[in-house]
Amino acid sequence: MCTVVPISLTVGANRIVPTVAIPHPLGNPALPLEEEQEIRRKLLDKALKALTTEVSEQTVFE
Amino acid sequence: MKLELGNIFIHDIQFDDLSRVENGVLYINEEELREHLLEDENISSVSFDIAKPGESVRIMPVKDVIEPRVKVEGRGGVFPGVISKVDTVGSGRTNVLKGAAVVTTGTIVGFQEGIIDMSGPGADYTPFSKLNNLVVICEPVEGLKQHAHEKAVRFAGLKAAAYLGRLAKDLEADEVESFETPSLIESFRQYPDLPRVAYVQMLQTQGLLHDTYVYGVDMKQSITTMLYPTELMDGAIISGNCVSACDKNTTYHHLNNPVIRDLYARHGKELNFVGMIITNENVYLADKERSSDWSAKLAEFLGVDGVIISQEGFGNPDTDLIMNCKKIEAKGIKTVIITDEYAGRDGASQSLADADISANAVVTGGNANMVVNLPPMEKVIGHVKLADTIAGGFDGSLQPDGSIVVELQAITGATNELGFNRLSAR
Repeated sequence: MCTVVPISLTVGANRIVPTVAIPHPLGNPALPLEEEQEIRRKLLDKALKALTTEVSEQTVFE
Repeated sequence: MKLELGNIFIHDIQFDDLSRVENGVLYINEEELREHLLEDENISSVSFDIAKPGESVRIMPVKDVIEPRVKVEGRGGVFPGVISKVDTVGSGRTNVLKGAAVVTTGTIVGFQEGIIDMSGPGADYTPFSKLNNLVVICEPVEGLKQHAHEKAVRFAGLKAAAYLGRLAKDLEADEVESFETPSLIESFRQYPDLPRVAYVQMLQTQGLLHDTYVYGVDMKQSITTMLYPTELMDGAIISGNCVSACDKNTTYHHLNNPVIRDLYARHGKELNFVGMIITNENVYLADKERSSDWSAKLAEFLGVDGVIISQEGFGNPDTDLIMNCKKIEAKGIKTVIITDEYAGRDGASQSLADADISANAVVTGGNANMVVNLPPMEKVIGHVKLADTIAGGFDGSLQPDGSIVVELQAITGATNELGFNRLSAR
């Protein structure tokens, strides 16, 4: 999970889940807590899905 | 657009009853300047000190370094949109107190940045050890929030520089330099056979102590745009960043950008320097993509053969750098990038966080992880205890004898990515 996908691609990561921003990858301090938790939950679900998905090349899970 | 710089050489700086410039000496009335800076209600106290080349003096943590300048002819005033009203600068005549600078220091948030040693081995790594510096130390009113504190200190430095600059308004310059950028069409007519070159300057725009302002606009809220290079010489771009001070551009760097100077020196001879593009380095991936798309689009629109790209900072801005490079190269335009390296203390690690095959012409400002030992100084202006918490410092970096063991990244301007430094290799 990372914000700067190009760096993840450069270093050779297999499964990449894009996140929110460099200072706050899994949240957004501008939002109320419930909305932030919603973002976090969705990102985590996506990451778990990515982990259980077979990949044959570098894959970005948009 | 044409600008003349009238340089007035300053070889000494002293406190005195009357602020003035006389025979190359800058005299400053402390009280008058203090009153001027205390007009800001966010500042509770201001003190000054003087640091001259060769003295056993350490200044830390440095926030910004600013060269005193004043508009003599032409539109607007220095630092437009910040200290002067918004008006397009960069034409006419500007006088410069060459050899003098205002240095701001103060503690704002956790990581505190920037060392300037006026003598010893540290002095070789920072260009500001060669200047006669007026150090401005501001204390905020109680309870002032960090962002407001940063702004107050930033403005105090610029106001002090503008105050000193005004002393040069009616002076005869020791030397006059001239810089001119005609319209795109006119420059093509003048030099049809010379390669056309533009400069892409990347500006640090990542939040508190990581920001840059253009005509008073926070550059992270702007899309990539263009300026006449002479606008920088009047302070169109000012620094609000100092973290990892080795590769951050102070306002002094922007005023004296060596990429611009060198391109002007070759303009009409080896190349046609058509102008410059400024872009940002934001913390959202979409911003990085959008801004680098625009850099490439504007470079294409200018019809240039080559582009020089300078980075500011390191880490994720390496991605902005590589995006700018490969997108401009993809337009069939050759690029050279100027960066610095974080290659580990032994220099053996990968230098940049990102890379691409099109980044095949690279100039480096040096390895910021290199460790240096700065011997104790007789006098410290600022807060020496911060050595342990500055980027590039580490536990125990302040030694019992007052010496400091740090990575180069703690030294203001040491690996500057405009090339405004002296590191070299053989």
